[in-house]
Amino acid sequence: MPGLRPWDDRDRAGLALEVAGGVVPRTLTVTSGPDPGLRPATTGPIPSQTAKTDPITSPRGAANIARFPIADDGTWNNAKQYFITSIVPGFPPSAYMPLRTKGSRPQKRVAFPWKMTTTTTPQQAQGQPSRSPPSPAATALPRVTVTDDDDDGSDSVDEEIVADPISNLGFMIPDIFTQLPLIRDELVTKTSIEQDETVEACLPFLRGDDDFFDYNEHGVPELDRERHIRFLRQCLGKLPGRFVAADASRPWFLYWCLSALTMLGEDVSSYRNAVIATARSMQNETGGFGGGGGQLSHMATSYAVVLALALVGGEEAYDVVDRKAMWKWLCSLKQPDGGFQVCLDLTPESPAWKEDGSANLLTGVSDYIRRCQTFEGGISGQPNAEAHGAYAFCALGCLALLDHPSSCLDIPRLIAWLSARQYAPEGGFSGRTNKLVDGCYSHWVGGCFPLIEACLAGGGATDSDGTKLPPATESLYSREGLTRYILCCCQDQSKRGGLRDKPGKMSDAYHSCYVLSGLSSAQHQWELDEPTDAATGGDGAATAAAEPAWTVFPYLDGPQVFAPKDRVRPIHPVYAIPQQNVCAIQQYFQAKQGF
Amino acid sequence: MALLKPELYGVREGSRLAEDPEWEDVVPIAHQEPEGALAAIAYPEEYAEAMAYLRAVMKAKEHSPRCLRLTEHIINMNPAHYTVWLYRAANVFALNLSIPDEIAWLNGVALRNLKNYQIWHHRHLLVEHYYPQLSLQGPSAIAEFAASEQSFLRDILAEDTKTTTSAELAAIETLLDDDVRNNSAWSHRFFLVFSNPAHSTPGLAASEPDPKVPQEIVDREVAYAMAKIRLAPQSQSGWNYLRGVLVKAGRKLATVEGFTNEFVKGLGEDGEGEDVRSTHALDLLAEIYAERGDKDKADLALRRLGEKWDRIRVGYWEWRRKGLEIGAEA
Repeated sequence: MPGLRPWDDRDRAGLALEVAGGVVPRTLTVTSGPDPGLRPATTGPIPSQTAKTDPITSPRGAANIARFPIADDGTWNNAKQYFITSIVPGFPPSAYMPLRTKGSRPQKRVAFPWKMTTTTTPQQAQGQPSRSPPSPAATALPRVTVTDDDDDGSDSVDEEIVADPISNLGFMIPDIFTQLPLIRDELVTKTSIEQDETVEACLPFLRGDDDFFDYNEHGVPELDRERHIRFLRQCLGKLPGRFVAADASRPWFLYWCLSALTMLGEDVSSYRNAVIATARSMQNETGGFGGGGGQLSHMATSYAVVLALALVGGEEAYDVVDRKAMWKWLCSLKQPDGGFQVCLDLTPESPAWKEDGSANLLTGVSDYIRRCQTFEGGISGQPNAEAHGAYAFCALGCLALLDHPSSCLDIPRLIAWLSARQYAPEGGFSGRTNKLVDGCYSHWVGGCFPLIEACLAGGGATDSDGTKLPPATESLYSREGLTRYILCCCQDQSKRGGLRDKPGKMSDAYHSCYVLSGLSSAQHQWELDEPTDAATGGDGAATAAAEPAWTVFPYLDGPQVFAPKDRVRPIHPVYAIPQQNVCAIQQYFQAKQGF
Repeated sequence: MALLKPELYGVREGSRLAEDPEWEDVVPIAHQEPEGALAAIAYPEEYAEAMAYLRAVMKAKEHSPRCLRLTEHIINMNPAHYTVWLYRAANVFALNLSIPDEIAWLNGVALRNLKNYQIWHHRHLLVEHYYPQLSLQGPSAIAEFAASEQSFLRDILAEDTKTTTSAELAAIETLLDDDVRNNSAWSHRFFLVFSNPAHSTPGLAASEPDPKVPQEIVDREVAYAMAKIRLAPQSQSGWNYLRGVLVKAGRKLATVEGFTNEFVKGLGEDGEGEDVRSTHALDLLAEIYAERGDKDKADLALRRLGEKWDRIRVGYWEWRRKGLEIGAEA
């Protein structure tokens, strides 16, 4: 079933995922175990833990031993010094991907010869900024303070010192993910206390100290697909009484779970009839969908229902949407300031756009979004509020559909703000300045970057002075950092499964969806090809009608800290569902006359 | 606070609507979940019953004291139920109920549910509805109402310092005195100062210069931001504010170069010579250098950010360096 391979998204619309020749297959052959993308769509029995982890009998364990023999002695102290920050040129990432298995943590780990002899030079690092660069100290100065095992001073942190050199021994973890930031203010406030607590909670996971996980050589645990799939299927089932608080958000559960399952490689078409019945029970004659039966139509729940219908696919699902009524309902939500209200008030005075023919649904939308960009550069939910990651994605997605984002946003400031959302050592994104990292912003903030990159790639983006902005030839954020945060900190390690905000928080459907969306974005690279005159035979009308085409590639630059089997499926940068689902529903409705 | 009328406010604990003579005439509409519905909730009996009665009275478009109490009952069980809130507002307006009473009730609900959108939307509807009546009573009535709203906001801010909606600069300053990293407070300060109708141009984006802002206000805000930045130079909130003020005022970033240099010593020097106390200062310096065409120094600042001081963002700093090259060509 090639369609289920996590990284292979060939679809019938011809928007094929192009893989650089030979690269992916090579990594696939080297890493252990069968490609999970090749397994049947339905969840089979979960392999027993012993079969999974036996270092001798499992192929993975055998590879581990064969490739990293334990040295007798004399390399012990050397090994401590190799908190590796570099990828070795010419050495395929896959060669050091085998997983170390639970219970088999070596008592002594070897100094891997190639680590000892090869380091990335500063020149190389400059040429390849998307990789985690070694600190200049990595080559020029002794970078790691090596202490004896019984030296309790190893935890005393003074700016550049790596704490606890024992536990992450041998893992290739760049020190920015294991150390406190270089610059820290002395002033203590509520915010700094919470930030420090968060870093403290994340560090054991980031350093490979947590006993629960099996870490690979990068100190990154594998994606626990089976457990997450089970969790998500449960969330789609009967929910206990305490979920009453979510009674107005049930459509979201449909989208979150179906989207997350899809990204994990599951076939969700078996849910089609159930989604259709559930969607109908939430649908109002006036066109929108409410949070449940008898609830008023709401913009957010309607969005979620439509995406859920697109995810299960099929004409019967698409036909649930009453497009004419929904169009009228959307128009009734239009506001004089160009924005929309999310729900019609039950009061007659609700101000709406006057139907005088001077405006349509999209009038003033770009300008409204322009006024939502704040002095910080980010986007707020309404003019004059605080910039917030979720609105950045909504605004960019909206502009990507309407217009060129740089026509109404200050793109350099937006990029500055988005970039500042990523923290070290956590690696994840926060939603606002001075707030904590949260796995869901892997999507809300991380998902902005493909849109930003497309915006820059066209060459049409300028700053406020009209100066052209350079294309983003390298990743604008640390994909490695985000991947580490997601796989190390956001996976619920209990039997429960699912993904979460941060260590110490419970997993839920919302975070499972958006954490995986962020992972998908970090693992893939998108390119937007604007339709050209040549492609349409110079016919201006055809050019206008042609949709820009998104092409997706697995992202293979920089360190690949996860095994190829942990690559989840790509999702469309704007619609956040797989591209073929987007194409299928668009084609269905485009083929119709009128509504 | 005066006691609220019991026929309008308050839920009798443990009483079943089906056994309540007041509801005798209503035939509840039970919830019909379709076969195989997804994410179906096993509703507790009390909630399911209340919702069944709600469906019935909403369908009949009934507006009455008992409907108001029913909405309170449901809101107590599920304050995120936007439909119930909108129906409640419709009842308040249809029955022409006292807005101060409703606000008094809402204050209690708000303090119990800090992170809830509905409480603020409901308040918004109430205030918009109330204001025309209030204006007829004259300016003192408006002032009195404003004072009571501010008093409530102080209460809720004491509970949740992140929910800053106070219309008072002093309240914001108190929040920033408590925690200079409170970005919501910084953000709200910017709104208060630069969207004040008395001295701002309406409709401008936050990043557009506004000639209507008086220079003394700009000076005051620059000084305020600098003083706060000195307390915690690695907190970005103050730097974002400072930069935002300069852009709003149409001033060059170089006007704060001396201040920014306080946090960066020996840029590019070997070993211990380079001392950076704020990555945000270094970032701003890079912009200041670029602003006056000193490409080499700007490049050095950005390179050092990516190499040493803020390595997680190296991809961004490298992109900025490429931008310098384009800027130089132009």
